[in-house]
Amino acid sequence: MTTAIDVRGITKIYNPDSNQPVKALDNVSLTIADNEFFTLLGPSGCGKTTLLRLIAGFEQVSGGAIMLFGDEIENLEPNRRPVNTVFQHYALFPHMTVAENVAFGLKRLKKPEPEIATTVDRVLNLVKMKHLGDRRPNQLSGGQQQRVALARALAPSPKVLLLDEPLSALDLKLRQAMREELKQLQRETGITFVFVTHDQEEALAMSDRIAVMSDGEVQQIGGPTEIYEHPINRFVADFIGDTNFLDGEIVEIRDDLVTCRIGSKSLFEAANSGGHTIGDQVTLFLRPEKISLSAPGEAGGGDTRTGTVAKMIYLGNQAAYTVDMGDGIEITAQARPREDGKMPYANGDEIAVRFSARALRVLAQ
Amino acid sequence: MSAWLPRSAAGKRWLGLAPSYFVIGIFMLVPMIIMGVFSFLEPNPYGGVKPVGSVAAYVKLLFEYDLEDNLVFNPGYINIIFRSFQLSFGATLMCLVFGFPVAYYITLQPESKRNFYIYLITIPFWTNLLIRTFAWIIILGRGGVIETPLLAAGIIEDSLRMMYTDGAIAIGLTYSYLPLMVLPIYASLEKLDFRLLEAASDLYATRLEVMTKVVIPLCKPGIIAGCLLVFIPCLGAFIAPNLLGGGKKLMLGSLVQFQFASARNWPFGAALSMLLLSAVVIMLIFYARSARKRADMEGA
Repeated sequence: MTTAIDVRGITKIYNPDSNQPVKALDNVSLTIADNEFFTLLGPSGCGKTTLLRLIAGFEQVSGGAIMLFGDEIENLEPNRRPVNTVFQHYALFPHMTVAENVAFGLKRLKKPEPEIATTVDRVLNLVKMKHLGDRRPNQLSGGQQQRVALARALAPSPKVLLLDEPLSALDLKLRQAMREELKQLQRETGITFVFVTHDQEEALAMSDRIAVMSDGEVQQIGGPTEIYEHPINRFVADFIGDTNFLDGEIVEIRDDLVTCRIGSKSLFEAANSGGHTIGDQVTLFLRPEKISLSAPGEAGGGDTRTGTVAKMIYLGNQAAYTVDMGDGIEITAQARPREDGKMPYANGDEIAVRFSARALRVLAQ
Repeated sequence: MSAWLPRSAAGKRWLGLAPSYFVIGIFMLVPMIIMGVFSFLEPNPYGGVKPVGSVAAYVKLLFEYDLEDNLVFNPGYINIIFRSFQLSFGATLMCLVFGFPVAYYITLQPESKRNFYIYLITIPFWTNLLIRTFAWIIILGRGGVIETPLLAAGIIEDSLRMMYTDGAIAIGLTYSYLPLMVLPIYASLEKLDFRLLEAASDLYATRLEVMTKVVIPLCKPGIIAGCLLVFIPCLGAFIAPNLLGGGKKLMLGSLVQFQFASARNWPFGAALSMLLLSAVVIMLIFYARSARKRADMEGA
């Protein structure tokens, strides 16, 4: 597998000479394979957009190197880097038609006129915008502008396409439709996509691999399942999906299970991820969808406990229940509505909470 | 409601706008109509006009009477008008060449500094233009700021004779109206989305191409407005031509001023003003038309 982008120990400091330098990236290293859909995921201010802008060349690195298919590019002007960007707010040229926007990069590359015409046709077809080639950007809807921005960036056949939160300005339905289109476009063109987003659902749905970032550092890199099921630390577990965290101490270790004391006396068994010793302070995490709720007394296996419903948040297709387990422990779980649309449990109800010890994982502190 | 107040919405709107119509009428239309009327009267030898209709003022633009009272073509005034357009065009071009980079530089500054720089640009307006133009005599003149050190250093042996030339007039005009070029260009550059510059360089545009393909086309309205704001007063200027051109090289503005102040030929002065006014109006019509076409094209 060829490496498309190799980021080696990149550091970026804004205003280095002022009395308030801001470290946006701290010694970040990662490699992105050719033909990969790679996502940089994190909250705002985590450095993901800075990293993208460094690859595009809009910012200068403070230290480190960026290799693009083996060539060092971190000191090249943006117009000398064979990468193209889809900007967050599209940045279409308002004084040009859709077709002229798409042809812009090809003209700068001094491609012959007939080749430009066919390429513009082809990419506008690809994003289903061919019929609107004569329009101006301000005559288009947000979703159409998005497609033009995509076509414009794809037209010069870049080695890598950089996408800076391209879907964030679209409404929910359109965003979901564009997710699939983007993923399909990536497969069809075979171009490496580097996608920046703060939306974990977007990242999980589209990516081959995800780099979760926070505070200018990469926390974890892995496939969607790996990131979701085996988060390396509390930040990653918390940022991706809803999670129950239980802080406590390891009191017993067996082959594949560890027993932790949570609160003053409650004992929870969790999967043994190795390397623990008795007395370790640890955090257990448990995804709400791995918990099943039932009326007390109904038969069930696994670790069944009882609690009281403390809070319910109605979400339509399901409800999020916060269950008071006693001993200062609260657990959030999900339940679906009954066939008549009513939710099965109400505030104050006694309830049985069941989950397998395998679903509980130990996080490094 | 009193009976005499208009009832309809249109009537009320007219009433509200009446003060503006009144002011525009008194201060713009009436003086212009007076000038228009004057241009078709005969001059009074001691200044003012005689209430006798005549087109002599307009004839005088192109023809003169020779010693035998024959009407012959006189290109003198046409030459002055032509020179005026030439010099104004030159000054406008120089304002654009110097003004655009200044406006661009200010736009690139952090927001807190920008207002300060704009304030600096407007400082010259606080002093009388006459005095500021006099300063240029000291700079350009014989034994002036430029010549003296060059003479002392032996780089030149004689005066450069910079004063009383077309060049001196053009420099004076450029200096006088440079802020009027910088301000509208700055106003349009300030609205420019700088992410478009990143997008252009991302799409392989060189720095020069970013300028010519994105920045300049997008601030064209500001450039055109600046050019008009400089070109129009240049045509009518008389301070710079009189002081720096020595009054020997006339421009349209000084010619008009001369007719009213010294030659006592008000109708001819008025006719020249009407000619100037027509030229300006024609230019503004073209500007408005191109602006409308652009707005249509961009679907705004």
